[in-house]
Amino acid sequence: MGVLGAVAIAGCATLALGGLLAAWPGRLAVGVVVQAAGMLVLGVVGIAVLTGDQALGSPFRSSIGPAFGLDQLSGFFLAVLAVTAVPTLLFARDYLPGSAGERGVGALTAGFLLSLVGVLTARDVTTFLAFWELMTLLPAAAILVAKRDASVRGAVYAYLAITHLGGAGVWIALLVLQHHGAIGDPSALAAAGTGAQTLVAIAALIGFGTKAGFIPLHSWLPRAHPVAPAHLSALMSGMMIKVAIYGLIRVEFQWLGATPRWLGIALLLIGLVSALGGVLWALVQHDLKRLLAYHSIENVGIIALGLGASLLFADAGAHRWAAIAFAAALLHVANHAIFKTLLFLGAGAFERAVGSLDLDHLGGLLRRMPWTGGAFLVGSMAIAGLPPLNGFASEWLTLQSLLHAAFYRPVAVALVAGAALAGLAATAALALLCFVKVVGLALLGAPRRPQCADATDPALGMRAGMALLAALCVLLGLVPGLIVPTLASLAPGAAGAGLTRQPGLLVPGTGAYPALAIAIALAVLTAGLMRLRGSRRAAPAPAWACGQALVPELGWTSAAFTKPLRLVLEGVLRPRRVLEVVRSGGMVQKITYSGHVPSLVDTLLYEPTIRAGLRAAAVARRLQTGNVRTYAAYLLGLVLVGLACARMGIFG
Amino acid sequence: MSALAAIVQLLGVALAPLLPGSIQALKARLQGRRGPSPWQPYRTLRRLWGKSAVDPEGTGVVYRFAPPVVAACLLAALVIVPVAGRAGDFGLGHDALVLVGLLALARFALAAAAWDTGSGFALMGAARDLMIAVFGEALLVLALLVAALPAHSTDLRAMSAAASAGAIWSGPAHWCGAIAFALVILVETGRQPIDNPDTHLELTMIHEGPLLEYAGRDLAFIQWAAAARHWVLLLLGAELFLPHGRAFGAGVGLLVMGVLGLCAALAVIETAEAKMRILRVPALLGFGCVVALAGAGLWVGGVGA
Repeated sequence: MGVLGAVAIAGCATLALGGLLAAWPGRLAVGVVVQAAGMLVLGVVGIAVLTGDQALGSPFRSSIGPAFGLDQLSGFFLAVLAVTAVPTLLFARDYLPGSAGERGVGALTAGFLLSLVGVLTARDVTTFLAFWELMTLLPAAAILVAKRDASVRGAVYAYLAITHLGGAGVWIALLVLQHHGAIGDPSALAAAGTGAQTLVAIAALIGFGTKAGFIPLHSWLPRAHPVAPAHLSALMSGMMIKVAIYGLIRVEFQWLGATPRWLGIALLLIGLVSALGGVLWALVQHDLKRLLAYHSIENVGIIALGLGASLLFADAGAHRWAAIAFAAALLHVANHAIFKTLLFLGAGAFERAVGSLDLDHLGGLLRRMPWTGGAFLVGSMAIAGLPPLNGFASEWLTLQSLLHAAFYRPVAVALVAGAALAGLAATAALALLCFVKVVGLALLGAPRRPQCADATDPALGMRAGMALLAALCVLLGLVPGLIVPTLASLAPGAAGAGLTRQPGLLVPGTGAYPALAIAIALAVLTAGLMRLRGSRRAAPAPAWACGQALVPELGWTSAAFTKPLRLVLEGVLRPRRVLEVVRSGGMVQKITYSGHVPSLVDTLLYEPTIRAGLRAAAVARRLQTGNVRTYAAYLLGLVLVGLACARMGIFG
Repeated sequence: MSALAAIVQLLGVALAPLLPGSIQALKARLQGRRGPSPWQPYRTLRRLWGKSAVDPEGTGVVYRFAPPVVAACLLAALVIVPVAGRAGDFGLGHDALVLVGLLALARFALAAAAWDTGSGFALMGAARDLMIAVFGEALLVLALLVAALPAHSTDLRAMSAAASAGAIWSGPAHWCGAIAFALVILVETGRQPIDNPDTHLELTMIHEGPLLEYAGRDLAFIQWAAAARHWVLLLLGAELFLPHGRAFGAGVGLLVMGVLGLCAALAVIETAEAKMRILRVPALLGFGCVVALAGAGLWVGGVGA
């Protein structure tokens, strides 16, 4: 057990104590801070396990009975969880008091965090599945405690329904593994043959993929994440979907016993569709939190691209690159967790200050809320993949992996990798477009509503949470190379990728990204050029609008900025527009215009499925006449069929 | 040798405005006009340097920071791109994908500044620029993929060296990459038929749109950055896709010829081609992507070697 194990248990106990305190009347703020302390302790344990070479507690085992433990991969995810949860809880300390159902949400937050820790530390099937279900149910409960209107209930129902339907895949995959005694033992499933391997691979892909938000299984994500309170949205988007990635890595990379080529290609294609689809539908959203939720789908897609490339490298025998691509995926897991948490917290702060999350209702907030606005700007630049922030580091490594994956035969695999490479580049450019829009609408320009003009920065705890995360975005952007060798060593079947520990990303045999040097160069050059420009004698003038006065009605909206792209991609996005003109006596009295872009997956996949399901239910309903004699006839028929089967020897 | 290369690289800071200048001069000649001298961009920069800046009402720190950030990105890019396969050791590496990131950062700074002014024309230009960049960036990395295949590396020095051998010119893969990169040059430098650098009509502007509000030294920085974009892209085109040797002296000579040839080609295209409808640009770039992907497939399949 050791000291570290005791510390881990103490951390969990502190977390639970924080949850109890939060439920106590008048102890909410204290309880949330105690939770943060518990997460901090767990994070330290995670980092200690990740950097040490000693696993903690029990190893994975196929026997029934609760077992907990921590190895390096779990340690990494636990550390990422702590790094995002501690600032989130600091934020929640000042965010929660005064909100609806505050004590219930505060206690359920601790429960949710404990369930995440449970999934990461479970070492047997039953414990894993129990915490997995809790992880799904607890945020749903917290959302329902915080908000009670019908639309929220609908969103939560869709979330539970889709994640449970898809989540059946997790049960199938894990129970088949358990049946073959293959939990933690890759050779066992290899002995069971390719049939079992294929079944487990596909079931896990569907099960964990649903929870991670892969397109087309993502439909719950943009519904459920925006309705939660800000700190829960942050944890769900930042961490819950990453825990699904953790499960995917466990099954597909560690327990499958083989790395089939089709799985790598499938992951690349899923990643490509999720990345491009996620960012495309994010672009056409007006609601900031919905937009951020779609971006989670995009980033999970980018992670899948890294994982798929890793599998293809392993298949081609390029184990060094397999480890590098794996590290790229894990680095993006950490980076996305950090900046997405930051952005969701920022959105929560904006909502508090302005009372709306519609992008067209914000504006000019950078000047009025410098802390929140500044942190949000850093997060936006990070998610848009701009150097020298952390998003660029992991995207650069993923781009390198895909580019190198395109070097290997067969040609079909090279072409898929090349297409994924182009898709990732387009995704980065689309994310840039999207976050220029968000930054412009929310932070820059003139306030679009009177409430924006009076907005001020929130309380200290909320500011501190966001500032911490923004600092992490910068730090991981400057020195990504310090953790990449550790992440590469977590890849299965690779003793190491031959990477040296240094601030920049230096992959032997190809170009390097010296992050720190680039950041310093950009800072020094910018400062030098500012000096060169000297003190500006700037003439104030109204912005040029062809001689018209620039009135608020001329201001650009979210829809206007994305218009060129929507026109170009009309065939994919299929926007629906409604234009109503009210005339009376030859005069136009009123014009109303509304437009929205439905999700293509919803219209092409889910709506027909729902219609077919309802139709089938209507047919099945005819069997239920409510007449006792009909049911007696059914029973008689069943007995007769049973007897006939027994006669023919079908039952053996 | 690397010290010499570093000097040539830094010469780019001064020489870059000559490229758009000579394209304009040549274009005027081709169109039967006398036109401006190739040194006109320098005169423009000097004139702008003496003027005062303009701050539209309500703009803040993003608007003021954007011009130096854009120029700093292009300065870093200038140092990353080698000359004739050689480069000084500035500590910034010579990676092709880092270059893509720096160009994206410059684009972000200008588009965010457009939002800060709130001017409809600036935003119109920024929206179009970013829309085209979506397809342009995909095309750029695919063209770089084709160029990286012989070297198995994204280090621009290695890419240039691997393409200097004669055998590569006989394969179709290299030429597929060259076609794709030619389109990249058109997109990134904002030349016809994608964009019209001479336009004075706000409604047709793409790259010029976000600059509308800037004046004085701010505008000088951005104008220089536009010229540096020409320098970076044409240099890459010449040393990755046009014939070049391994020796430095001959390499620089061939490079000058290559860059001037590309300038002439741009002038000819601008004379012969009208600006295309903006909504048709993605189709053209998509065609480029398919060609580049085909090139990569041909190389991996063994046809290009």
